[in-house]
Amino acid sequence: MIIGAAEVRHVARLAELAVAETDVPTLATQLEAIVAFVAQLNDVEVPPGAGAIVVGPDRLTLREDRVDPIPMSRTPAEMAPAFRDGFFVVPKLGGLAEG
Amino acid sequence: MSDAALLARDTGRRLADADARGLNATLHWSQELLDREAARLDAAPVGPLTGLAVALKDNIVTTDQPTTCASKILEGYVSPYDATVVTRLRSAGALIACKANLDEFAMGSSTENSAYGRVKHPIDPDRVPGGSSGGSAALVAAGVTAAALGSETGGSVRQPAAFCGVVGVKPSYGRVSRFGLVAFGSSLDCISVFGRTVADASRTLCAIGGHDPRDATTRAGAPSMRPMPRSDLRGLVVGLPREYFPTDLHPGVRAACDATITLLRELGAEVREVALPHSAFAVPTYYIINPAEAAANLARFDGVRFGPRQIGQDGDIRALYQATRGAGFGAEVRRRILVGTFVLSAGYADQYYSRAQAVRRLIGDDFTQVFASGVDLLFTPTTPTPAFKAGEKTADPVQMYLADIFVAPASLAGLPAMSLPIGRDGGLPIGGQLIARDFDESTMLAAASVLESSLDALQEVR
Repeated sequence: MIIGAAEVRHVARLAELAVAETDVPTLATQLEAIVAFVAQLNDVEVPPGAGAIVVGPDRLTLREDRVDPIPMSRTPAEMAPAFRDGFFVVPKLGGLAEG
Repeated sequence: MSDAALLARDTGRRLADADARGLNATLHWSQELLDREAARLDAAPVGPLTGLAVALKDNIVTTDQPTTCASKILEGYVSPYDATVVTRLRSAGALIACKANLDEFAMGSSTENSAYGRVKHPIDPDRVPGGSSGGSAALVAAGVTAAALGSETGGSVRQPAAFCGVVGVKPSYGRVSRFGLVAFGSSLDCISVFGRTVADASRTLCAIGGHDPRDATTRAGAPSMRPMPRSDLRGLVVGLPREYFPTDLHPGVRAACDATITLLRELGAEVREVALPHSAFAVPTYYIINPAEAAANLARFDGVRFGPRQIGQDGDIRALYQATRGAGFGAEVRRRILVGTFVLSAGYADQYYSRAQAVRRLIGDDFTQVFASGVDLLFTPTTPTPAFKAGEKTADPVQMYLADIFVAPASLAGLPAMSLPIGRDGGLPIGGQLIARDFDESTMLAAASVLESSLDALQEVR
């Protein structure tokens, strides 16, 4: 599969990741090599109905449906870049028309 | 001065020496924090880890030191809570020594991807210590701490353990709580341990293991990990998967493995060849599932709730996300996020992600069949080569990924596995890998202990 600059920009937009235009050609080459490498799985014979493996416990342990406070040594306000009146402060969402 | 205070002073001296040597294995430590640890230990009862200094990979959160994951995006971040493993280490009497350097967000096989500079191999500074837990491995190998915690997603403790000549143990998935481990690949992540000896690694693992109500993937009522002492390997069947001994295996690695196989027989084990045919596909499978899970997990680092924030050119929230993430993540992290987003995107998810999940099942089924046939343990080389030179593989991500070829399968299957030193080639350590049945760490650690005490090569390493 050929991965070009347009694919890199599209995936970067989906990932909310700014990529410098100067990095796009190298990323396209590297992504193409990685995708070509992982595509060898298409040659593996997979029996019909082979489901995904689930590692770990057969059944997740449920706990009582109760919210206990997590003992936190610092508040969200102390960690956030900007915080006011109980809310994280961020710029407005723009570009809705572009989706 | 109390024993704990002496340990704190001694550990501080060793950490300072390691820094002066330019190992670059630590990201945070101070004598003041070590002395505070000693004061806490003085007031606590004696535990199974009393007298043991333990380094923590810097993706395990602590309230008294920053947790950066070796990334600029978490610069200055201090967690509001301690990881469960940190609480358990302290309860067992351990002294927390430092936070160790790593590949950014644990993505890498050489610890060259840290935003704070690469970690040097303790024997040859031109070489890599392996990764992603390279700082933890280097600290143990350099004799700074007797044990360290790392994390495994696809071999990130066993591979650096092999490169540095120390013991590295990955427990079964679900054995150790991940509450407080910064999430990377959630179906794969396991907090794992390094030790100078099998005994140090075993007792550290026993201290941190067990069910945790804060991590629903930990198993309640699991069998004990404690190795039953044994003097030989009689009664054990050890499988040699032929796919892990390719014809182009590094000659030094092959020679060390051959000598260990001879020793396994001499110690009374029945050794037989077995087949794990789908292990050959473990690396491509891993490099679909891992980036997919990483892309999802790292979506939380967006400049809103913590870490440094960048305001993008358009000045809105999407520009903030993109600018913060673009500036905060290093090259390998960005690459994996892009690959993960690609394999999950519309039109490609079935072709790549669903396919990888199905092959992962086949890899796991191979192990199940081999263990069902009466095999107790598998023995393989841990890595295809000894430690490689810094910069040798950085330009070619696929070549770097192939360094994990023998360690990725057990991670995908969720099985316990470990590396122990089995020899040297040109002065560089070589690791041998043992893989056990799900939740049978006890047999694996007991066999490793017998092997360790019998391997002449190990004496050289010490």
